[in-house]
Amino acid sequence: MPTIVDIAVSNEAFSTLVTAVSAASLVEALQSPGPFTVFAPTNDAFAKLPDGTITTLVQNIPQLARILTFHVVSGKYKKEDLVGVKSLISLEGTQIDLDVSEESFEANNATVIAADIEADNGVIHVIDNVMLMRPHWFYPIMESGKVGVV
Amino acid sequence: MTATLTEPTTKLPPSTHPYAEVIHRLEAGGSMLPDTPENLMQIIGLYKAYAVPMDFYWRDLLYIAEQVFLEPIPAFKYFLPQEYLDLHNHYAGDDADLRLWRGYATAHQELLDFMDKGELKAKIPKIFHHLYHDRINMEFAEECMRAMLWHRGMGGELEPYMDSEEYKQNADRAIRAFFKNNPVMLGLYKLFPDMFMEQCRQSTMTSVLGLFWEIMAPVFFEMSDIYDEGGFKGVPDAMDFLVNGIFAIAGRPIYHRVKIGDEWMDIVPKSKGFTWLYEAAFPYVEAVFYRTSPFRGTKSYNAQAHEIPDDQNDFHYGILYADKFPVGSAGIPPTLLHQDMYHFLPQYLVDYYKQHCRGEDDMLIQLAVSFQRSMYNVTSAVIQAGRAALLYPLDDPNPKHLLANRHYFEGQLNRFCNPKYGMDKAARIGMVQDQNYR
Repeated sequence: MPTIVDIAVSNEAFSTLVTAVSAASLVEALQSPGPFTVFAPTNDAFAKLPDGTITTLVQNIPQLARILTFHVVSGKYKKEDLVGVKSLISLEGTQIDLDVSEESFEANNATVIAADIEADNGVIHVIDNVMLMRPHWFYPIMESGKVGVV
Repeated sequence: MTATLTEPTTKLPPSTHPYAEVIHRLEAGGSMLPDTPENLMQIIGLYKAYAVPMDFYWRDLLYIAEQVFLEPIPAFKYFLPQEYLDLHNHYAGDDADLRLWRGYATAHQELLDFMDKGELKAKIPKIFHHLYHDRINMEFAEECMRAMLWHRGMGGELEPYMDSEEYKQNADRAIRAFFKNNPVMLGLYKLFPDMFMEQCRQSTMTSVLGLFWEIMAPVFFEMSDIYDEGGFKGVPDAMDFLVNGIFAIAGRPIYHRVKIGDEWMDIVPKSKGFTWLYEAAFPYVEAVFYRTSPFRGTKSYNAQAHEIPDDQNDFHYGILYADKFPVGSAGIPPTLLHQDMYHFLPQYLVDYYKQHCRGEDDMLIQLAVSFQRSMYNVTSAVIQAGRAALLYPLDDPNPKHLLANRHYFEGQLNRFCNPKYGMDKAARIGMVQDQNYR
């Protein structure tokens, strides 16, 4: 079976991701046995980022690697394994919030447009947005917004 | 209050928030600040007036963090060496990593002219300008740094790193090298290692703030140039420019290195992956726009009087809550910033202020209110950038996503509605809706 990297390389829709992963020297890691669950943004997902975002990241490899490792989780989790699971911890260290049910499969603010692409060393879920880490203040702000004015 | 109500453009029912009008404006892609030509003029003028002293602040902050470092009596830390005036801003000039300002990379000409002659417009030895405070008021920049250091715990990975073994080892190496030929300081370090470590953290925060403002200066210069060309149709355009800038620069590395002799030593290496957005911008907005600390003489520190919150999260002394009238009083650090900005106001703002309130006599307060408007716009850009990065587009077809956006916007504005300690009265969000607030 092909590895996560093989699948990404063979699909034109992941060419931006492949370039980023190579630039960040993460190819070897993503070819290792793992297993890994990768939330893989498409080229269109990267294109949604404002001009200059990728330029700055590509100039600064440790910072780029941080954004990329945020899209990887240790372990193999297919959609059925994640139903009802609230979050996973990414390799970057920050959690990814999940909303997984029969009708939906969302990770942070990204929607999974193709789930469960199996690889030799894990599984890929294709997403439509590049995910960015949610800072700690995000959660109390959202809670406050749901509860209403104090 | 403004005459026209902003109707909701989303598929959601109208918000019932006390600041519903502002919520709807945010949901339509706008700013907390109403979109009027007068607001646009005020905020751009102040961005430009802020950018010139900021060009000094970021350069001197890096000089202090990198070379003054732990100098026990840093009497000349504000005497910026030519090396730092010539230092190329990474985001301006022909050799920029990413060119945010079309202009040049070295210190701004208006800054250089002011440093030469000051407000006195006299060519006298620098030490006299310095002692007379006829100079850039660098104390304000250090006060912002101190706010970030004192609050800490505002997120990002640099925060825990500064308490880690690795940081302590890096700091230890740098401290020993810095005081290599100084047995007195090395002896003091042996006696009081934690104090030196904390001074080092202060130096790190100085570097963080310098690297943060290195970005903001060219952003504001570019906004001023675009405005002069008629390139902004309104306040939302200016806000969007900031939002795009925030994204473009989000990945800029945050680090701290010290120059000892001819060598650079890393205390916080670039390789740690710390970023402008998470380790500088978000903590800065929290510490300086929202929290800071009460100014001496304006609040009772008596614990029994409960005038000052026990919880640092509840501190509400930043620009968004500031009463601009006491600007000019002793002990209020923003006075120093406002005096700096006063020196670099574009002529169109000077003419504007002469027509209102007490004209030239209270220009410092008039510009302070304009500045507050401009910082509400910056905060709006941070809020919108946060929404774009962490949540959903404003025209997302999924109502569940739009509701999440609304919870986010309402949660953000709830910070201005908290009756504890009178935070709701202190917040100026209501007043900036009124064009007559000056």
